[in-house]
Amino acid sequence: MPKFQNFPLPDAGEGLTEADVVTWRVAVGDKVEINQPLVEIETAKSLVELPCPVDGIVTELVAREGDTVEVGSPICVFDIDPDGPPAPEGKEPEVADPPPFADHANDAPAPVEKPVASSAPVEQEGSGAVLVGYGVKADVVHRRPRNVEVVEQIGGVGDTEYPVLAKPPVRKLAKELGVDLTTINPSGPGGLVTRGDVEQKVKATSAQTLATYANDDQPWLETGYSNDDGRSTRVPVKSVRKRTAEAMVQSAFTAPHVTEFLTVDVSETMNLVAKLKADRDFADVRVTPLLLVAKALLLAVRRHPEVNASWDDTKQEIVYKHYVNLGIAASTPRGLVVPNIKDAHRLPLHALATELQHLTAEARSGRISPARMADGTITITNVGALGIDTGTPILNPGEAAILAFGAIRQMPWVHDGEIQIRWVTQLALSFDHRLVDGELGARLLFDVGRVMNNPAHGLVWA
Amino acid sequence: MTATTSQAAASLEAHAEAPSTVRTLTLAGAINAGLRAAMDRDPKVVLMGEDIGALGGVFRVTEGLHKDFGERRVIDTPLAEAGIVGTAIGMAMRGYRPVVEIQFDGFIFPAYDQITTSLAKLHYRSQGQITVPVVIRVPFAGGIGAIEHHSESPEALFAHTPGLRIVTPATPQDGYDMIQQAIASPDPVMFFEPKARYWDKGEVDTARVATQLDAESGASHGTAEMGRARIASPGSDVTLLAYGPTVRLALQSAAVAAKDGVSVEVIDLRSISPIDFDTVLASVKRTGRAIVAHEAPVAFGTGAEISARITELAFFHLEAPVLRVGGFHTPYPGSTHEHDYLPSLDRVLDAVDAVMAH
Amino acid sequence: MAGIGPLSEEGLVRLLTYKGKRVKNARFGPYAEDLTADDLRSFWRNMMMTRAFDNEATSLQRQGELGLWVASLGQEAAQIGSASVLRNPDYVFPSYREHGVAFMRGIDLPEILRTFRGHQHGAWDPAAHNFQLYTMVIGAHSLHAVGYAQAMDWDGLVGSGNPEADGAVVCYIGDGATSQGDVNEALIFAAVNTAPVVFFLQNNQFAISESTTRQSKVPLAQRADGVGMENVRVDGNDVIAVHAVTRWAMEHARSGAGPVMIEALTYRMGAHTTSDDPTKYRTSADEDYWRERDPIARLEAHLTAIGELPDDFVESVAAECKEMGKRTREAVRSWPKPPKHLIFEHVYAEPHARVEADRAWFERYEATFADAEGAR
Repeated sequence: MPKFQNFPLPDAGEGLTEADVVTWRVAVGDKVEINQPLVEIETAKSLVELPCPVDGIVTELVAREGDTVEVGSPICVFDIDPDGPPAPEGKEPEVADPPPFADHANDAPAPVEKPVASSAPVEQEGSGAVLVGYGVKADVVHRRPRNVEVVEQIGGVGDTEYPVLAKPPVRKLAKELGVDLTTINPSGPGGLVTRGDVEQKVKATSAQTLATYANDDQPWLETGYSNDDGRSTRVPVKSVRKRTAEAMVQSAFTAPHVTEFLTVDVSETMNLVAKLKADRDFADVRVTPLLLVAKALLLAVRRHPEVNASWDDTKQEIVYKHYVNLGIAASTPRGLVVPNIKDAHRLPLHALATELQHLTAEARSGRISPARMADGTITITNVGALGIDTGTPILNPGEAAILAFGAIRQMPWVHDGEIQIRWVTQLALSFDHRLVDGELGARLLFDVGRVMNNPAHGLVWA
Repeated sequence: MTATTSQAAASLEAHAEAPSTVRTLTLAGAINAGLRAAMDRDPKVVLMGEDIGALGGVFRVTEGLHKDFGERRVIDTPLAEAGIVGTAIGMAMRGYRPVVEIQFDGFIFPAYDQITTSLAKLHYRSQGQITVPVVIRVPFAGGIGAIEHHSESPEALFAHTPGLRIVTPATPQDGYDMIQQAIASPDPVMFFEPKARYWDKGEVDTARVATQLDAESGASHGTAEMGRARIASPGSDVTLLAYGPTVRLALQSAAVAAKDGVSVEVIDLRSISPIDFDTVLASVKRTGRAIVAHEAPVAFGTGAEISARITELAFFHLEAPVLRVGGFHTPYPGSTHEHDYLPSLDRVLDAVDAVMAH
Repeated sequence: MAGIGPLSEEGLVRLLTYKGKRVKNARFGPYAEDLTADDLRSFWRNMMMTRAFDNEATSLQRQGELGLWVASLGQEAAQIGSASVLRNPDYVFPSYREHGVAFMRGIDLPEILRTFRGHQHGAWDPAAHNFQLYTMVIGAHSLHAVGYAQAMDWDGLVGSGNPEADGAVVCYIGDGATSQGDVNEALIFAAVNTAPVVFFLQNNQFAISESTTRQSKVPLAQRADGVGMENVRVDGNDVIAVHAVTRWAMEHARSGAGPVMIEALTYRMGAHTTSDDPTKYRTSADEDYWRERDPIARLEAHLTAIGELPDDFVESVAAECKEMGKRTREAVRSWPKPPKHLIFEHVYAEPHARVEADRAWFERYEATFADAEGAR
């Protein structure tokens, strides 16, 4: 069977990359012998005659006279077994590359992602294997694949092994903090003492001091570090605490706060709560006094929409919002946050209850999103939940009013001309005196009180 | 004499001690004695160089050898450094052991080609079939008030060529021992002699190396020993590495530092190729602080290699960066400024202060 | 030699014209008188074998199997003629083109190609053949040759009184080398030490592209005059004259009379190496002139004229040459890749800590790869 073998253009001059084919000394069909003149090529350095590398018959002249060919590309094909039996019908054998000499037999290229033309060894990316006389070594563009087992066995491909104590920056830290490196249990690879180890050691040392006069469960100390005598711990201000502090400062020191107080007999509200709790329509939601306060505030805001606004100092404009995003101040494991119920003004009581419930659950689990907290227009802070009567709340930045809803207690009250035991609570409204004056604030507060005192009044305003 | 008296005399003789093998010699004298011992030991040892015959060498290191061994073995050569080294290579190929002298460090450069392209590479080129046991002796370094080209420290230029061994004795004992070990070694050895130290005196035990080299595998043991560093003065706070002319400076610096309560360990490297990093690293791991002092310019010098290697192999033991005290990136200056250029006690102690400050 | 240039053919010692006619030379003729027809046929065969190997190596380079080849084409007579005088304990320091001398010293010629295939830098045992490895730094070996010669003298192998036991060194250099400092120092050291060395200078007229006229204004042999060294200029393409002159020179050196320089004027018919392009610096007229003066052709013409080149001999040599070519090609094909650890072998004769550290690092590094040697 014919055996076809190509002849890749060699590098004739120590590092050439291409040559021009000038004159073929043979024609297709010619019988050729090793070393007989084959073709004249022109390189960057000179005109060179290439001798034939095989005994056989020329079957194809791949490169034509005048072509520029890259080193390594086939210039012609020979049949090196022309006297063998002819190929079976329809089964022409493939053209092979010349077999490599023994010293390049194992230069198989490293596995590459795409199949590569077999006739162009120099073009194989990443193999790095080039036959002698085939020019400059091709750029290696892939890392050579590693033998993972061996790497694990020797512990990495890094350079040398050494017993590592601590890196210089860690040593410096230890020195500054007065920690003896040799007393630390290292947690780093190979017994390396890490920065964390040093800091841990410092805290561990100081925790013992604290334990003498407090219990160990003080999560707020967790990210802090104690000073040398362990008598105080510094905790960096971060995330929620940081944001809260910033908001408080911004609000407290830009908006002139005025707080007005109202003490209200909310016995009717408490009756309504009891009734709603028993109502089938409200069986699937929690009904609390807070729900009714929220509704009361929403109804009051409808009557005094000019409190639902924001003072834009930069533009010297008051932004009146035509929607109410009702914020409920919540204490979460990460600190104080104020998520809000969007478009609360539209929500009927049941829907409001549902939203309130969602909000409470989110707050408890700490899963409040930034969107949830954005764009609030008015806020209720339920100080009563902690048994507090009232307070002077600080506005949520960007809002003009905040209502503190105190604890509901049974108090002696004058009702129908007699002293009776009634459910009494205190409401406190802080407002931004730049856009809400005392009268407006008072009216808003009074209206909230009216609905809380007599929920039926909500019907009158609805 | 009565029988008892002669008996007594005989027993007195029996108790008499063998003559001491320890002599007090200068460094130049010790190398001279070592050359003599090597020439006695092996008739293939021949010396070649300019003015080494009747004159005995410009530093008298070959004094007396021409007279005792003759002009066939102590050869005055033409004024041609390449020729001296090149012909030595040919002789070595035929089994001789040429010990050539390059008269001054600054004149080694005409021979640089023969040293780097032939001497260093013939063993490798021939797959071990050719050995070239040539020793090249070079008075080197400064501090003697000389004119240009007579105070150079070119050792790094040769240490950077694989195939050469580079050694330098700082004491007469090492001068005596190491020249013989170098001659016995099958590898080419460049033997840098600190010329400012030629007249320093010291005790030399002449027996030890003789026993070693007369034994089988003596050449191998000698080559290995030649490559080892020596702790010249133990200490615990700082490792101070020196070789050749700076060993004396290092010891002086350590003495002054001790008064300030700093314990400096002085190591005489003795060998630049190879450098005995086992000894160096063991010390640095204990002290955590390293300084290298050499006369050669700091930039691209022996200290640079040592610093890099310590960083690679003992980084996590370091309390401070490795510092180098040495010449500036200028040609060796006129002798008026020589002592401002060369590493000095103050510069070494400043380096000690610097590493201790961390 | 007064008044002639470095390429002048005037006064060259010659015993065979380029047309193949024997001629006389009073001084050196006697040194060729005893050459028999067998000797001449032997010269011819050895030159043919050298050329066959050389041509095969050139082809292999052009086929991409060698990085480089340094052809001896055209210089066969200078090499075979001189080397045919050598015996042991004579020692040769070649440059890098003396393949004919290598052949005569018993080197298996294909072995030379290990260097040009990039496997190693030196491919035979110098002591086994009294033939040093090729030296690539121009002229560096000339000093080694002188030192070696001095040592031979110290070993009692020169002027011993028994001419058959005496030896000398032959150092082959080229025209370009005569400009090198090392070569001039070698002449000086050889002269003042009366060293037994023959400097055989093949003036092939080119140092890559530079004509000898760029190396000297006067014949190169005059350099030897400068140090008081005996010297002679010979037709380098006349194998008989080269043989005669070398015999005279070697007897001189072996006897302890001192060094000699032989300048053999020849012509580098091929390029400096396979990377070179002679068309850029010489004319085809020049090449044609020297092709007419081909060393093998003139001996062939002579032997044919005297009826001493029988057909069966010619055929058998042709077959030998073909076999040499084939064997060269097959040898190169068969050599396995040298293992990587060879990089670290024989840097020193005794262990050296840095070499050991680097070797250990490399072994560890190589072992981490999936395709490491021996990992398949």
